[in-house]
Amino acid sequence: MNGIRQYLPAAVRITLGMIFIYAAVLKIADPVAFAGSVAAYKILPYFMNYLAAAVLPFLELICGLLLVCGYRVKGAALIIGGMNVVFMIALSSAIVRGLDIDCGCFQQGGDKTSPWTALARDAVFLAMTYVVLKTEGKNGKSSRSAADTPLATPVQEQ
Amino acid sequence: MLKNKWFGTLAEICLIVIVSASAGLAWNWSLLTGAWRGEVTQQAVAVAAEAATTTGDALPMPIGLMQVKELHDAKEAVIVDARNATSFAEGHIAGAIVLPVEEARKNPSFPPEAKVTKDSTIIAYCNGYSCPDSMEVAKLLMRAGYASVYVFEGGFPEWRDAGYAIAKGAK
Repeated sequence: MNGIRQYLPAAVRITLGMIFIYAAVLKIADPVAFAGSVAAYKILPYFMNYLAAAVLPFLELICGLLLVCGYRVKGAALIIGGMNVVFMIALSSAIVRGLDIDCGCFQQGGDKTSPWTALARDAVFLAMTYVVLKTEGKNGKSSRSAADTPLATPVQEQ
Repeated sequence: MLKNKWFGTLAEICLIVIVSASAGLAWNWSLLTGAWRGEVTQQAVAVAAEAATTTGDALPMPIGLMQVKELHDAKEAVIVDARNATSFAEGHIAGAIVLPVEEARKNPSFPPEAKVTKDSTIIAYCNGYSCPDSMEVAKLLMRAGYASVYVFEGGFPEWRDAGYAIAKGAK
């Protein structure tokens, strides 16, 4: 049980990272199709769809790699959390406007994933991000406590 | 201490975003400059060519923003709006004729006052990238005998965002 508790946060972090790497690679391979998927949401002006399609997959890729490697985890997790929130807002707006579109989350032009399914999936990713951030926060706190010890000593002496 | 920690995280986020944006821009530079200039994407041309070879039908070719603008300004093309009448009334390319896909399926032709001949250059558009109606209308027009039909895949959003002339109303 302790073993699971010990390794679960790392497993969540690595899984989340690998999911984002997978999503990014599919989009990087076909940026025009991804631009089409972004345009289907009818949120951004024409050129911005291409700009988003050019930049977002690389943000996903780098954040995914950082999570897998366990380097700069807090920053990467916060960005992934932010992206998830943005995706969920876009998906909700598509549902509200009655747009029958593919979410464009993974395979471009493959089987259609409805906004509802994508929204549920993003909620799971957001929960995973929370676990990563919480674990990272605890680790940060423990390392900070250790670093703070010399400073704390004179206060105790007073 | 806490302030420093947040500053550090913020710097970390900025660095990741800058590196990712630089990589994304560098990797997709030609696509982005093409999109900025309003050129037709290579994929659209490839899809049209592939469809033409598999179906054996002549298919409408894609046309980019700049070419549409030139033909529009020179009045050398008939611009056809393939969206529905409501979307057309809310805003359309100035001088365009509305021909929704449902109407085109029933009768792929133009009213006599539009003075469109079978040799006229026709450009169909709809609501941009995600909209298939312009391709559908263009195909129907080609089957009806119109020889020179193009599809402006950027459609009304690209035209409007470029700041070119638009009109409102049913006509």
